[in-house]
Amino acid sequence: MKNRLRVLRAEKNWSQADLAQQLGVSRQSVNAIETGKFDPSLPLAFRLARLFDMTIEQIFIDDDSS
Amino acid sequence: MYCTNTAAARRYRARTLFATTAYLLSIWGVTWMFRHRHPQGAAVYLLALAPELPIFAILAIFGIYLADEKDEFIRAVLVQSSLWATCVVLAFTTFWSLLQIYAPAIDLVLKVPMYWVFALWCVSFAVAQPLVQRRYK
Repeated sequence: MKNRLRVLRAEKNWSQADLAQQLGVSRQSVNAIETGKFDPSLPLAFRLARLFDMTIEQIFIDDDSS
Repeated sequence: MYCTNTAAARRYRARTLFATTAYLLSIWGVTWMFRHRHPQGAAVYLLALAPELPIFAILAIFGIYLADEKDEFIRAVLVQSSLWATCVVLAFTTFWSLLQIYAPAIDLVLKVPMYWVFALWCVSFAVAQPLVQRRYK
């Protein structure tokens, strides 16, 4: 699933490792989510949304909705 | 194994190291018993079963790790890798069994004991992990 994670992370000036640490996951997980090749679970998506103070829909792009 | 440094992965590595050491010691002990004490009757079956206990432990430790690992991406990689390893083992053992039927001479020459099947699964599992992970880069 496409997402804006890389851009949002860059805006905060965080590395993948920084984001991974705040989420409590591995750096590989953050990389896999950013490339859109691994879809996070709903709890992890909510954690991401809370961290960036956004809604899940503002971070993840649902290709089927258009 | 796929190199991660989560708390669950560290526990998994420590437990697996312990169980693998127990397996190697049990193999050494059982081999020594058969060579020097020549057990008879039910003792033969019990001794042959002894190395199975660490094998069950290794599999149980893997199951505990899957339940224990909080990182869902690592969990996905582990599950997919274990499926690949199972596929490799099933394909190879089926192929080997067919060879035993249709070309029995190869079995006489190479003599691959069945206890290598578990080692094959472990090696396949280890090889599969970085390959599975590459799909997500």
